[in-house]
Amino acid sequence: MKKLFIIGLKDLKIVFRDKPALIMMLLAPFLLTLGLGLVSGRLSSGSSSGINNIPVILVNQDEGQLGQALVDLFTSDQLAELVTPELLSDPQAARQQVDDDISTAMVLIPAGFTESVIPTDPQNPGPTLKIDIYFNPTRPTSAGVIKTIVDEFISRVEVGRVSGEVAITQLIQNGLIQPQEAMQIAQEIGIGSAESAGTSDAIILKTSTNDGSPMEFDVLAYMAPGMALMFLLFTVSNGGRSLLTERAQGTLPRILVSPTTSSQILGGKIFGIFLTGTVQMLILIVASTVFFQLSWGDPLAVLVLVLASVIGAVGWGLLLTAIARTPGQISAVGTALMLIFGIMGGSFVSRDMLPGWLKTLSLVTPNAWGLDGFQTLALGGTLRNIMTPILGLLVMGIVLFGISSYLFNRNGIAKG
Amino acid sequence: MKKILAISLKDTMLRFSSWVEWLFFLILPIIFTIILGGGTGTPPDSRVHLLVVDLANSSLSTDLESALENSEAVRPEVVELKKAEDQFSQRSVSAILIIPENFTIETLADQKIELEMRQQPNNLDSLVAQQAVNSVISRVSSSIQIANSSVAAAEKIKAFDNANTRQAYYDASLSEARELMADAPDRVSISQGGTNDQSDYDPRANSSAGQMITWVFIPLIALSEMFATERQMGTLRRLLTTPTRKATYLLGTISGQVVLALIQMILLIGFGVLVMKVNWGREIGGLAVILLTSALAAAAFGTMLGTFVKTSSQAQGLSIMLGMVMALLGGCWYPLELFPQTVQTIVKVLPTTWAMKGLMDLLANGQNLIGILPEAGVLLGFAAVFFVIGITRFRYE
Repeated sequence: MKKLFIIGLKDLKIVFRDKPALIMMLLAPFLLTLGLGLVSGRLSSGSSSGINNIPVILVNQDEGQLGQALVDLFTSDQLAELVTPELLSDPQAARQQVDDDISTAMVLIPAGFTESVIPTDPQNPGPTLKIDIYFNPTRPTSAGVIKTIVDEFISRVEVGRVSGEVAITQLIQNGLIQPQEAMQIAQEIGIGSAESAGTSDAIILKTSTNDGSPMEFDVLAYMAPGMALMFLLFTVSNGGRSLLTERAQGTLPRILVSPTTSSQILGGKIFGIFLTGTVQMLILIVASTVFFQLSWGDPLAVLVLVLASVIGAVGWGLLLTAIARTPGQISAVGTALMLIFGIMGGSFVSRDMLPGWLKTLSLVTPNAWGLDGFQTLALGGTLRNIMTPILGLLVMGIVLFGISSYLFNRNGIAKG
Repeated sequence: MKKILAISLKDTMLRFSSWVEWLFFLILPIIFTIILGGGTGTPPDSRVHLLVVDLANSSLSTDLESALENSEAVRPEVVELKKAEDQFSQRSVSAILIIPENFTIETLADQKIELEMRQQPNNLDSLVAQQAVNSVISRVSSSIQIANSSVAAAEKIKAFDNANTRQAYYDASLSEARELMADAPDRVSISQGGTNDQSDYDPRANSSAGQMITWVFIPLIALSEMFATERQMGTLRRLLTTPTRKATYLLGTISGQVVLALIQMILLIGFGVLVMKVNWGREIGGLAVILLTSALAAAAFGTMLGTFVKTSSQAQGLSIMLGMVMALLGGCWYPLELFPQTVQTIVKVLPTTWAMKGLMDLLANGQNLIGILPEAGVLLGFAAVFFVIGITRFRYE
C-alpha cells in the first residue's frame, strides 16, 4: 500500500512540474472559461447577456403621433442600455449603414403611418402602411431584439385601435352615443388603452424554480464545470501516456527489478492519475470561485462529485491506455476523445440541443453525468440530489476499470 | 523547387502516417459543425416542450392553450398535475404551467388571476418558455382589457340596469375584440440587408464557417510543434550539413501545411454545401482569397510560435489551447454580435476574427471579392508580421 502511495505521489509531482501538461490541465480550461465569461458579458457587467447597446437607425417619415411615439420608445430610458438609436432622414444612407455592418437594423416609419392606423375619415380608410425593418443578417440575435420591440409597439397600437373601435360600436349599437360623437370618444379610449396595453395585470404569471427561488441564469455556472470536466479527460489520457512512455523508455522494466509487483506499479500509476485529476478539478473550482465569484454549492457534495467524476474519467483513461500502442497514439486519441466527449457531454452546448439518440449516447461520457451533478449543486442541491450522477460515474469507472484490467492482463502492459 | 516539394511531401507523409490525423483533419470538424449547427436531425418540432396543467377546463383556458399551440417558441402538452410534477422533478421538462381552477372569463371580470409557472433553474429553455407564456398572456389579456374598457366607457355615460345587462355588454365587447384582434392587419415588413439573393439567414452557415476556421487554425498553429519536434530530435541540425537554405526549409514546411489546410477547407466546404446546404458557392473568387489569406495568417502564427516554444509537447498543448481560445473569441463558436462592445473591439487583434468576418460577409452579407478585400488585407498583414518575427527568430538549434 505504501508503495502504491509513493508511486502515485511521484507521478503527481512529475505532472505538476510539467509545464506543457499544466497548460492543458489548468491554463486552457481557465482561459476558455474566462473567454466564455467575456463573450456572455458575465464578467464585464452585472448582466448575464452580451446583447446591449444595439445600434439601430430610425427613419421617421410619419408626421403623426404614432411615428413619434415609436421614436420616443427607442430613445426612452427604459431601452437606454439595450439599444443605441440614431435618427436619420435618408433611408438610403440608413440602409447603407446596415449593409456596411455599422448598424443592426433600420426602422423606417412611412409617411402617413398614423393616418393608416387611425384614419381621420373611418368610412374611407387608406391602404395599410407597414413599418419596414431592414436588418443586418450577420447580427440575427440583435435584429431579433429590434423586431420584438417594434412588434410590441405595434401590438399596443393595435390594442388601442381595437379598443376605440369596440367601445364605439357597442356604444352606438346600444344607443348610448350618436355617430357624430364617435371620433372623439374613440381617440380618448384608444390612447388610454394603448398606453396601458401589456401592463394589464388581470392575468399574472407567478414564476418560481423548484426550490422556490426566482429564476436567474448564470452562464458560467454551466460553462466552468463543462470546461473543467472536458480537460479532466486530457489529464487522464496524459496519465495513461506516462505509463506507456515509461514502458517505451525502459523505466517500467527497471522498477520491476525492485521488490515491487506489477499490480503495485499499475495500482500506483492509477492512483497517480486519480490524484492528479482530483487536484486539477479542485484547483479549477477554487480558481473559478475566487476569480469569477462562482458558487459551486455544498462543498462536501462538490468534493464527492469531483471524486466520482475523476473515477469515471480515469476509467476512460485506462481503457485508452490499454488499447493504444504508443504514447503518441494515446496523446492524439486522448485529445480527440476529450473534444468528442466535450461536445457530446454538454461542455460546449447544452445536451438538450442534441437529438434524442445522441443525448442518450452521451451518457457514456463522464461530462454528461458530472455536469448534471455540478449544475444541481450550483443551484442549491445537496448530496442526496446528486446520487444518480454519482452512481452513474462510479458504475462507469468500475466497468471501464474491469475491461481495462482484462486488457492489461492480456497485453501484459504492466510487465514491461 | 524540388527541395521545397520534397520537404512538403515528407511533412505530409509524416502527418498522415497515423490514422489518428484523420480525426482532426475531417472527422472532428464535421462532428462539431453538425452539432453546433443544429444539423443533427433535430426533431421536426424544435419548440421548447412546456407541460400545461389545466385545472380550469374553461373556454378561457382553452383559448390560452390554443394561443400557446400557435406560439413559435413553445410546444404545449396538456397533462395531469401528477404527471407534470413527476416529469419536472426528473428534470425531463424545462417548465410547467399550472392554470388554476378559477381561470374563467367570469372571474376575470371581477378579479385578477394568478397562473403558476415552475421552471428548472439556470435553464435557458425555461426562460424561453416564460417569455412565450408572457407574450400569450398579454395577447389573451388584451381582448379582456378591451372588453373592460368598453364596459367602463358605457358606464361613464349611463349605469347598467343590472348585472345581467352589464355581463351581456361585456360578452359582446369581448367577442368583437377577439374578432378584430384576430383580423388585425400586418403592420411590419421585414427585409434582410446586404444580400442580392434575399436568402434567409442560416445559423448553419455560422457553424460551417466557424468550425472550418477552428479546425484549420489548430493544425496550422501546430506548425510550431513540427519545428519543435525537429529541433528536439536534432534533424534540423542535420539539415545544416546539407546544401539547404533556411528559406528553402521554411518555405517547404510552411507551404506544405498551407496546401493541406486548403485541401481540408475545400473538403469541409464540400461537406457544408452537400450536407448542411450552406451557400458557399456564391462568390468563389472572394472565398478563395479569404481561405488563402486565413491559412497564411494561421501558418505564420504557428511559425512564430515555433520559435518561442522549447518542446514539442509544450507546442502541442499551446496550439490546441490558443486555437480554441482564438476561435472562441474570434466569433467562430458563437456570433460576435453576442459579445459586449468592448470585447468586440478587443478581439480585432485576432486573425480568427477577421477570417470569420470575411467568411460571414461572403455567406450572409452578400459581399463580393471587392467587399472582403479589407479583411483579406488585414489577414495578409497578420501573416507578414508573424512571418517576419518567426523567420527572424528561427534557429536550427
